[in-house]
Amino acid sequence: MISKSLEEAKADVKKGIKDAQAHAEAMFGGKGLADPIPTVEDKWKLLPAFLKVKGLVKQHIDSFNYFINVDLEKIIKANERVKSDVDPHFYLKYTGIRVGAPERPDQEAMNRSYTPHECRLRDLTYSANIYVDVEYVRGRQIVRRKGVPIGRMPIMLRSSHCVLTAKNELELARMNECPLDPGGYFVVKGVEKVILVQEQMSKNRIIVDVDRKGFVQAGVTSSTMERKSKTYVGTKHGKIYLKHNSISDDIPIVIALKAMGMQSDKEITQLVCGHDSKYVDKFSPNLEECAQKKIFTQQQALDYIGAKVKSPKRAFGPGIRRPPSEEALDILATVVLAHVEVHDNNFRPKCIYVAVMTRRVVMAMLRGDLVDDRDYVGNKRLELAGQLLSLLFEDLFKKFNTDLKMNIDKVLKKPNRTQEFDVYNTLLFHGDHITSGFVRAISSGNWSLKRFKMERAGITQVLSRLSFIAALGMMTRISSQFEKTRKVSGPRALQPSQWGMLCPSDTPEGEACGLVKNLALMTHITVDDEEEPIVKLAFILGVEDVSLLTGPEVYLPDTFMVFLNGNILGITRHSKQFVSAFRRMRRAGRISEFVSIFISDHHNSVHISCDGGRICRPMIIVENGRPRVKTEHIEQLSAGKLSFDDFLRMGLIEYLDVNEESDSNIALYEREIIPESTHVEIEPFTILGAVAGLIPYPHHNQSPRNTYQCAMGKQAIGAIAYNQLNRIDTLLYLMVYPQQPMVKTKTIEMIGYDKLPAGQNATVAVMSNSGYDIEDALVLNKASLDRGYGRCQVLRKYATLLRQYANGSYDRLADPPVHPDDPTIVQEKFEVIDKDGIASVGERIKPGQVYINKQMPTNTSSDIGVNARDATANAYKNAPMSYKSAMEGYVDKVLMTTTENDQTLIKALIRQTRRPELGDKFSSRHGQKGVCGIIIQQEDMPFSDLGVCPDVIMNPHGFPSRMTVGKMIELLAGKAGVLKGELQYGTAFGGSKVEDMSRILIENGFSYSGKDYVTSGVTGEPLSAYIYFGPVYYQKLKHMVMDKMHSRSRGPRAVLTRQPTEGRSRDGGLRLGEMERDCLIGYGASMLLLERLMISSDIFEIHVCEKCGLLGYAGWCQHCKSSKGMAKMQIPYACKLLFQELQSMNVIPRLQLQNVF
Amino acid sequence: MDMYNNGGPEVSIRSLKKDSMKFVLTNTDLSVANALRRIMIAEVPTMAIDMVEIETNSTVLTDEFIAHRLGMIPLTSFDVDRIQYTRDCTCSHYCPNCSVELHLHVKVTVDYEEMNDPNVDKTRQVTSMDLISVDDSVRPVSDDKLHPILIVKMRPGQELKLKCVAKKGVAKEHAKWSPVYGVAFEYDPYNKLRHSHYWIEEDEKLEWGVSANAAEETPVDPNEPFDYNAKPEKFYIELETSGCMKPEDVVLRAMTIMQDKLGGLQIKLDDEFKEDTQRWGY
Repeated sequence: MISKSLEEAKADVKKGIKDAQAHAEAMFGGKGLADPIPTVEDKWKLLPAFLKVKGLVKQHIDSFNYFINVDLEKIIKANERVKSDVDPHFYLKYTGIRVGAPERPDQEAMNRSYTPHECRLRDLTYSANIYVDVEYVRGRQIVRRKGVPIGRMPIMLRSSHCVLTAKNELELARMNECPLDPGGYFVVKGVEKVILVQEQMSKNRIIVDVDRKGFVQAGVTSSTMERKSKTYVGTKHGKIYLKHNSISDDIPIVIALKAMGMQSDKEITQLVCGHDSKYVDKFSPNLEECAQKKIFTQQQALDYIGAKVKSPKRAFGPGIRRPPSEEALDILATVVLAHVEVHDNNFRPKCIYVAVMTRRVVMAMLRGDLVDDRDYVGNKRLELAGQLLSLLFEDLFKKFNTDLKMNIDKVLKKPNRTQEFDVYNTLLFHGDHITSGFVRAISSGNWSLKRFKMERAGITQVLSRLSFIAALGMMTRISSQFEKTRKVSGPRALQPSQWGMLCPSDTPEGEACGLVKNLALMTHITVDDEEEPIVKLAFILGVEDVSLLTGPEVYLPDTFMVFLNGNILGITRHSKQFVSAFRRMRRAGRISEFVSIFISDHHNSVHISCDGGRICRPMIIVENGRPRVKTEHIEQLSAGKLSFDDFLRMGLIEYLDVNEESDSNIALYEREIIPESTHVEIEPFTILGAVAGLIPYPHHNQSPRNTYQCAMGKQAIGAIAYNQLNRIDTLLYLMVYPQQPMVKTKTIEMIGYDKLPAGQNATVAVMSNSGYDIEDALVLNKASLDRGYGRCQVLRKYATLLRQYANGSYDRLADPPVHPDDPTIVQEKFEVIDKDGIASVGERIKPGQVYINKQMPTNTSSDIGVNARDATANAYKNAPMSYKSAMEGYVDKVLMTTTENDQTLIKALIRQTRRPELGDKFSSRHGQKGVCGIIIQQEDMPFSDLGVCPDVIMNPHGFPSRMTVGKMIELLAGKAGVLKGELQYGTAFGGSKVEDMSRILIENGFSYSGKDYVTSGVTGEPLSAYIYFGPVYYQKLKHMVMDKMHSRSRGPRAVLTRQPTEGRSRDGGLRLGEMERDCLIGYGASMLLLERLMISSDIFEIHVCEKCGLLGYAGWCQHCKSSKGMAKMQIPYACKLLFQELQSMNVIPRLQLQNVF
Repeated sequence: MDMYNNGGPEVSIRSLKKDSMKFVLTNTDLSVANALRRIMIAEVPTMAIDMVEIETNSTVLTDEFIAHRLGMIPLTSFDVDRIQYTRDCTCSHYCPNCSVELHLHVKVTVDYEEMNDPNVDKTRQVTSMDLISVDDSVRPVSDDKLHPILIVKMRPGQELKLKCVAKKGVAKEHAKWSPVYGVAFEYDPYNKLRHSHYWIEEDEKLEWGVSANAAEETPVDPNEPFDYNAKPEKFYIELETSGCMKPEDVVLRAMTIMQDKLGGLQIKLDDEFKEDTQRWGY
């Protein structure tokens, strides 16, 4: 009976399943519930759309645009009035500011507009005038003027004010500009300068950490327009203190709170501890301490603090001195935690802020794991060009105004003036303080702002134009403020939170490892946004003002404190609803898409951020387990009907910053979406940066190899920019036949590396050959080199100024000197010089030949006006510039122009064409570098059964320890691509599959493994092993033997010591150093030692008086006044120098001579 | 061994086209076959541009760049025997006996009417067809007038004027003198001699296909004992020329060169022996 019913039940269940299946079939068109949901194909297409809108260096450009369009006005507003101490009626008010279009500074120019390229060539600064609108008092009336220039602002290329923005390729070509150039840098004095992204700790946020002594402390770096200061709430012996630079001693926290007007111990306890007895226990010693010190009222507390305040330099002068308690109150209001503003002596918000800090310390004391991670990317802010320039401008503008005020006072002091005083004239001819300030800061990289005691060097760097990738890599670089010498690993380590934001591979090796980082492909850095609307929105969404509440209410379990940019806004009792409502508003576009909000469960708080410098990236929103971006959206995107911004506006994707990212549940792939998922990644390969994006199959490589390639990709010679032939750079390396790689990545296409490549597809045989390929050396095929493999051009700039001197004389160019008998004979040295005194373009120039025959006046100081007819006054001496190189070159270009201060500038570009030689450095894209070890004739090369000869033979020992499997797959994919006649993809976490590649190989009659039957070219016998054979993309690196090789037998010596000079550039000798000397001593090779250290170096013959032991001269002792007993001997000149220097300091070295034999 | 009794090496041509050729070489040693291959690649003399005198160059490419490109253009070298090596010539620099001059002069004038018309392609392609040779027997290989070899692209207002001097040379010196683009060389397609070891995962036959040349030979019988005395017999050679000369000429010339070399060696050796005999008397 029972068994039957069981069977029946089973049958019922089966039937039920069948029914359900039938139902599903009817409903979902043959697709079962368990079938995979169709995934959105090609969602990576969002990436090019992103880059189209944002560009590769949009961070820099956005930041600069914000500065120039928004921030400038704010700065003007904060410093809008200039008053006079003399005339109380006088004022000058700035009512507006505007930056014009880039214009040449020359007032008389016909066409004022100029291009960045002209600035590069002419050593100018690419800048635009800053115009202000002013309102001021003239006599008895108020005058308004618009567009008064006050200085010049360097303009970032491709920013909103640059002439290059929104231009098509043809227009860019007319301006000699490359369409692939990302912009984002400045041209200052003809040099391209990048303001590097600076990494800092975030401002105005409480960071709890453990100090060196193991005590917990909460620190806040307050940053407001007026001042920056650091405040700590720290522990010492279990008690909590407030620390600040302006107070000499640590202040017990209860005293500090009492000084701020919170006099009741109960109130303090409640605000710090809520109703948690554990917290109360931990906190109560502080109350006790305060009571012991007999401090009960605000006045007592202020007196206590007042006694410890460091007396600040008084602005009003020493006359007025306030009582210490008032000073303490003032400091607590304005300096301590300056970002929490105190209005009308209402200290309540600041009290709560200090209480919250104290609470965080107490929490961390109780639970050690509640300290914050300083290296967490969410606690970092990136400072960009705009912010740095804004600091600089405010400083310069303040200085400008104080100078202006001084000038005004000077004029107004005069009792009677001939003219009515018009400040406009003073303003116009006020000097170029702002202009030169900008130029100095950007060209030297030193930001010194006295206001914030900021003194930073190395902010700017010269944009490296070694290769396209080098320039691009520089634009995404982030430098850290940490000192490089400190031996802490934390800041250098790879942080999990940098996923997708900062490239995990691209960092230098050595001392800056981990401190210099690079942005990932899809990152965006926020700029400051208005707080006002967000405050309003938060209150509308139910945030309660915290000032109205008491401690126990604030710290209820369901109550979450709401912070906006680190400041306490209020509390909410429904955090989840609040946050989701807030996010809805953001997705609907009611507030900026870069505002972030997240819940911190540890601290029961909700954090809203809209400050600048946060790193964020876009992600697809997932709702109910389905991504919002559907296939049809992507189709519309491909068709050009939708743009990236439309996706944002439609709420399909959104930007998440690091903090919000940590609070979200992000699926890497669509198939990995779970019910809790909130977002899905756009494309996994965007965790890499632009430079690491060049590597094919990087996910198959050992990770340091990718890092090595990131360093080497920047040294590869290739095409630099479309305008590379119009540029005159100090040093330019160009490849003669660059090729796009056979195995591309999506990143390569997006950044334009396929249009400006740096390398060639070499047919590589992975085998041992000849023994000249050990230790990573490569064997090259001579025929390949003949046909142009690895051929490159090196162009070097040689420039000179034709100066005009103070006395009116000036440099000049001279034609080649004429032979006295036959004017047709020209010295070989001057063969290439044309009649104008400069080498003619296209001439072959040999080492030692003159290319600019300059002459300088002998007399540049005294006045020549008096004796102008005197021959000596007009005499010139030759100062020719001659070509110094080991290899002959060709004159590529000559430029003659004038600089900003009307001096003639001559630039000559000399070109060399080089073919690879023994010792030149090559590298694949997998961190596998090697030098050319031997060049072999084609007929000696091994060849495949089709008669294919390799261009490069690579030793297989390079593989086992390096584990660069990506290179092997690149070869396989490249070979398949060649056979099929199409390019293959090696995109990270994707790309062409090995299986497909093998199939193509088989279809074309090759082994699926990529190995070929190879015959030895020397014997004609097949090699007994099969050889991994196919194309691999090889880069030629800038390190070439020609630039390094050096030898010397005899040569120049240093003037002072008479020892051989040092260094290749001075044709110096190679030093036999201390350790080498030790070896020779140990070996007993004394004669060799004597030869190396004295005879071949600075041997000198001296005459020594045997009587007094002093040095004489020519057999005469000046001390003994006799020539008796003078001995000749040889010592190093440096030794003689030492004796004389000792003598000059009243130490007499005497030589006591003896006969040895 | 019958190889030496049979009257020496034999060649049977499998296919012969204008610029490629396949043949089988039999009755000779591996070393001889390989020597033939090496000589074809490196030692058959041809004509190639060796010196370029540039008078005007306002194109985007640099002088050396254009000179290198010119050097790589294959020149018809059917009459190469007529021309001497410059080093053997009596002249000081170069002369008609040891060189051929080629001229190139292209000037793209600016047409003001169509200058701003985006539909008109104003790019002028300078190709090997623009090279004018003074000697009709030495000119750029251009059997296909549709696809001449591109030297440089020019825009209105640019000019290129130069004189090239083509010389006779061998590919040992520079690859531009190589008459062949590729020489395939194979013997023993079934690996009967076991000169190679197949790299296999599971099955040799499945993983390694046999080459096309296998049709000429009988498959190896797995039961047959391995003959370790066997020597390679048939050599399958395929070559593709640059068009500078006929493929059969390349082979014939290569053989002549080999003969000359051996002949030269023989004469030298004979002389040595004679000297020795005179000196030592044996």
